[in-house]
Amino acid sequence: MNRPSRPSEFELVGRVTIGQYLPTNSQVHQLDPRAKLLMVLLLAIGVVASDSLLGLAILLGGVALCLVSARIPLGYTLDGLRPALPFLLLLALLQILVIPARGPCLRTVWEWAFFSVTDRSLLAGAVLALRFVVMALGISLVSFSTSTTELTHGIEHLLRPMQTFGLPAHEAALVVNITIRFLPILAAEAERLLKAQASRGADFGPGRFGLLTRARKLLPLLVPLFLISLRRADQLVEAMEARCYLGGKGRTNLIQLRAHPRDHLAVLATSMVVALVVYLGSIDVEGLILSSILPCPT
Amino acid sequence: MNNPTRKVVVAGVMGAISVFLGASHWGFVPWLAGAALTIMHVPVIIGAILEGPWVGVAIGAIFGAFSLLQGAIAPTGPADVWFTNPLVSILPRLLIGPIAWLAYRALRQISEVAALAISGVAGSLTNTVLVLGALGLLRFLPWGVIGTIAVTNGLPEAVLAAVLTVAVVAAWKRIAIGQKGSTV
Repeated sequence: MNRPSRPSEFELVGRVTIGQYLPTNSQVHQLDPRAKLLMVLLLAIGVVASDSLLGLAILLGGVALCLVSARIPLGYTLDGLRPALPFLLLLALLQILVIPARGPCLRTVWEWAFFSVTDRSLLAGAVLALRFVVMALGISLVSFSTSTTELTHGIEHLLRPMQTFGLPAHEAALVVNITIRFLPILAAEAERLLKAQASRGADFGPGRFGLLTRARKLLPLLVPLFLISLRRADQLVEAMEARCYLGGKGRTNLIQLRAHPRDHLAVLATSMVVALVVYLGSIDVEGLILSSILPCPT
Repeated sequence: MNNPTRKVVVAGVMGAISVFLGASHWGFVPWLAGAALTIMHVPVIIGAILEGPWVGVAIGAIFGAFSLLQGAIAPTGPADVWFTNPLVSILPRLLIGPIAWLAYRALRQISEVAALAISGVAGSLTNTVLVLGALGLLRFLPWGVIGTIAVTNGLPEAVLAAVLTVAVVAAWKRIAIGQKGSTV
């Protein structure tokens, strides 16, 4: 069937896609899902904890290296970033112009009316943009190279040590699994509801409505959607209990994850890089470099 | 209702609704100057009311993780970019459920419908206050702007959340609201 390039307002199933998996069977794809999850977690720590531009550039280089070795087409990766670019520029500008910069010595680069741009605020703007790019690429890398089944297994295994603190690892992974499996069902149900209401004369077309009108139009869709889902949940509970589901205790897995030396190596390398990046942030490496070139204005 | 299987399933299903509302844009109601109101946190509130605080935490975690992913993979607005920071996207969302549940538990004895409405408001305001608070603490936005957003977005969101929570939970638990409906 020929699909129009712009999905119609009634088409919801095709629009709900998360975790686009690209099976290129590369080195990165063959890594243990636990290792990949740990690596992206470490990456997140590095991105959040460090505000060093140099450090973030190192992380960006690392992620780019992984993307290349995962044989993911460049266009594919950049496609994901493109919609964010205008917002990102806007935010970086906002950061540079509006948010007051802090630091031991601020060198004013440009001044006009209320605005004054300092070296620190330029750095902060660049850091904001780079933070987003690194995190976005890191997350896309994992979603491109890991199937959802691998991902839920990875989550379950990673959460296992937390069981001693009372966190139900198996249940948490099952929740994620149900969410992922339920999405297409939900999209199909929503599509059916939308068509049913439209056939009764409801108008969901584009246009600007007031809040109340809009909310009134959403209620006949959302309330049945919730109720259908709760009913489906009931059926699922019954089906699971009929098959003697008793929770995670004493359960064995069909797929056994085995960590190879390369997985340990990958996690170790990532943690070393992240430690370096956090260290660079804590000694304020940009400040040191700047003060060695330019004297501090007094 | 203390069935562990049901807790797991309801958490998964409500998590799916939250993700669906975000991915299909049903969960966004256009509002002043492009700043959309969101109702993606309503499944968290409803899940917490029906199955308890821990289910609320689980759905909140899914909601948060999805807004992080959406911010990173397919941002729909300028604000989405901030949500790549887990301190903004995940941490505040974990508390929506427990607070909505507490409000519901505290008021259930007085009036079921009022408890549902206030629980919706409390859960929604938790989301607003904690997310905006995180944005302020991380110096993404000046506090003045945050105050404005809290009023222009937070309050209508709370009203929407209350209406939806009452409508869904009352229909599910067959609680009569007013004198409407068939008397046959």
